[in-house]
Amino acid sequence: MEDKILKLKEERQKISKSYSKKTPNPTYIDTLANKHPEIQHVIIKEIITETPDTKSFILTPDMETTFELIPFKAGQYISLKLNINDTYVTRAYSLASDPSISSKKYKITIKKVENGLVSNYMNNEVKVGDKLLISLPVGNFGYDPNRDEENVIAIAGGSGITPFMSLAYEIEKNYPNTHLTVFYSVKTAKDIIFKDEIDLINKKSKRVKFVITLTREKKDGYLNGHLKKEMLEPYISEFNTILMCGPKALYQAMNEILSGFNIPKKSVHFENFNIEYTPSENNEYDLKVILKNDFIVTKCKSNETLLEAMEKAHIKAPSMCRVGICGYCRSILLEGKIKMIGSNMPTAASINDYIHPCITYPESNIVIRLDI
Amino acid sequence: MIYDYLIVGAGIGGLSAGLNLAFNKKKTLILEKNSLPGGLVSTFKRGRFEFDTSIYTLYDYGDDVHVGNLQELLNKFKIDLDTKVIPFNIRLTTPNNNLVIRGEINDFLLELERLNEGSMLPLKEFMKITKEIHEAKNLLLTNSKINYDKYPNFYKYLDYDAKSGLRALKVPEDAINLFGFYWLELGSPLNKLSFIDFADFMYKLIFKKETILLNKNLDFTLKLTNRYQELGGRIYFNSHVISITKEKNYYLLKTSDNQEHKAKHLIFDVSKRYVYTNLLPGTKEINELENARSLSPNGVVVYLGLNRSASELGLKNYKYYSFSTLNSENNTKYMTSLNHDTFSAYVPNVVNPNASPKNTTILILKQTYFDEVFNTLNLNNYAKTKEEIAKNLIANFENTFKIDISEYIEEIEVATPVTFVRYTNSVNGSLYGYMAKGYDNPINRILSYPDEEQSDFTFVGAYSLFGSHVDNAFYSGYYLTEQLLKKKEN
Repeated sequence: MEDKILKLKEERQKISKSYSKKTPNPTYIDTLANKHPEIQHVIIKEIITETPDTKSFILTPDMETTFELIPFKAGQYISLKLNINDTYVTRAYSLASDPSISSKKYKITIKKVENGLVSNYMNNEVKVGDKLLISLPVGNFGYDPNRDEENVIAIAGGSGITPFMSLAYEIEKNYPNTHLTVFYSVKTAKDIIFKDEIDLINKKSKRVKFVITLTREKKDGYLNGHLKKEMLEPYISEFNTILMCGPKALYQAMNEILSGFNIPKKSVHFENFNIEYTPSENNEYDLKVILKNDFIVTKCKSNETLLEAMEKAHIKAPSMCRVGICGYCRSILLEGKIKMIGSNMPTAASINDYIHPCITYPESNIVIRLDI
Repeated sequence: MIYDYLIVGAGIGGLSAGLNLAFNKKKTLILEKNSLPGGLVSTFKRGRFEFDTSIYTLYDYGDDVHVGNLQELLNKFKIDLDTKVIPFNIRLTTPNNNLVIRGEINDFLLELERLNEGSMLPLKEFMKITKEIHEAKNLLLTNSKINYDKYPNFYKYLDYDAKSGLRALKVPEDAINLFGFYWLELGSPLNKLSFIDFADFMYKLIFKKETILLNKNLDFTLKLTNRYQELGGRIYFNSHVISITKEKNYYLLKTSDNQEHKAKHLIFDVSKRYVYTNLLPGTKEINELENARSLSPNGVVVYLGLNRSASELGLKNYKYYSFSTLNSENNTKYMTSLNHDTFSAYVPNVVNPNASPKNTTILILKQTYFDEVFNTLNLNNYAKTKEEIAKNLIANFENTFKIDISEYIEEIEVATPVTFVRYTNSVNGSLYGYMAKGYDNPINRILSYPDEEQSDFTFVGAYSLFGSHVDNAFYSGYYLTEQLLKKKEN
């Protein structure tokens, strides 16, 4: 009675025997997917002093290991992976260069922050020819023609201008029906980053325009004061997309202004620029980090993220965006009370005690599980 | 430490294998390359929307009354899910048809009878034999000997394909095509699909119905992971296995973070093809069977967060299907081009009001492809091509179903085959494992497994014996580890 089964088995055997024994080649898609390495090796080709406290770095492939950089979409950022005095740290910087030549060069721009470990290191220590490790371009901030309107208003505060430089090139080259107006708010004329580049674009482009307002100086050719409804009015159409990048105060002010234009929430997008948090107390707690086959105990101050504390303790914790969005540093809180600032993780992750250490501050002794 | 079992990949198959091994007190370690479990079954957040990456429906789960096999197994491991059984609620369009399938199986059959007189009785006949076939196939899963006298229809239809089996039952030709529409986007032509596997799926669909998860995919996969750990299993995330070497009495696995792990037996929740091409490059020979098999289609998925409620948008159905033709053999041919009319859409809000915030809707569009559709894609045109594919798919949905969505898009994310390869290591970004066809239907794989089984490696997941979807992936992990455990006992 089992003839049929034998027949089916034999047929299967016969068919497979007629095929080659060689390992199959990867498919086209597999090969393409494997061209996305987790780490890119770059060389600092050029350093440009933009303002007294801001420098731009032109990064090109380190030909020993990386032949081409991974192209990016305007608005994306890379994570710089550094080892400063034996401490492993990362920082996220928006790419400011033209995306259409991104396989050959990236530009990142770094403003010195008081006591900032990385910004001071980059501004003071590194030189042309130095090698750096960076991540792939990542992030979801930017212009998407399937989602966004053809009139785009970008709002930049200070060094929040960087993604919009890249966006200016992208819209000029890739989206022939899209208009972009970038409102760029800075303290004084000498704080303007990319001044020559902006002047050139304003001169050449019919669809991309930069409008600069100086908040602490009056000068010809510039608007004066904080952004106001009247400044934006001439550039608002029936349908608009608003993209914002800058400190939180700017977003709050803008939301008020935008409500006057009746712009739906769906059309307003902003980059998570930084985290702002002042703890109510000033303590230092124990932080116990459980690793795969080991654990490390270190200290973490109230005003310090768990990620920063781990970096200080020389733990090579994964991190990317450092503002709670990308999920790359995801860990599990086993014990302790924490304050997480502005995380954007799925509900299931947060009810299962997942945390993003990059935006998590301690409020007691902490034990976390880090699968590194 | 040398583990009893090392599992590569925490997809549904890997988690299910882990659960069963840990349940049986085996020292088990799962290595997962991502920072979350689930493989293709996951959740990501954009703005105020949480998008499930893949599953929207569980098969063979059922409810309290009609308990499916999947629910039974999850109960065994004390995994409790918030679920709801849902009726058919499908809108289906082809150049010649436009119909809504709503309600229970009888409503579907009545609609078929209305369209093709004489379908009702033979399909009722078909429904009767699906139970016998399902039971016989389940016996095979547990590797039991079958008394074929007790399962005459199972034996009779073993060498029938779905089309010829339904023809033998005298189902009218057009009704066959419509009845088998579930396989169209999977790219499995009905004349190559085993009647046994077809009947088994229809049994699950008809008698256990479709079940939705009331929480997101990630809630489900984290429940599986947590329970596995409670049972004593270990799991390491961010652990991408990059090489395997055989030592004297164990295998040594190296991960990208320079860690080493040892085990006597390896379980892979990735395809055999991936393992032999990438992890065992020393092995020059991959078995011929691997080269003979074909991959299921890959695809593009567009995840949309819309800023209006489903009813305001006129989205009344849970699933929307558009097909170039209902003839599955011909439809497969259209799928070798980037611009074709076969695609599906899901609106989870129609069956689950909590799928997204109030007055918003999630809409998922999916299109699948064969062959070299993406061979002009490169790093430089990738972003632009992605945008264009999404744009066409959105426009195709709007034109086909006369529903405007583009002006309500608040969030959009697009996953391509490249995305799926990078996240899951699925070869070519294939979405359903190996193609179920001819000699390589699940039933053929199951029957030949005792001869093809390898001594130290077990393969689970969608690329394993039973096929894709959560039920089958879960069974692969469960039943194949059951067999391993039995063997160890003897």
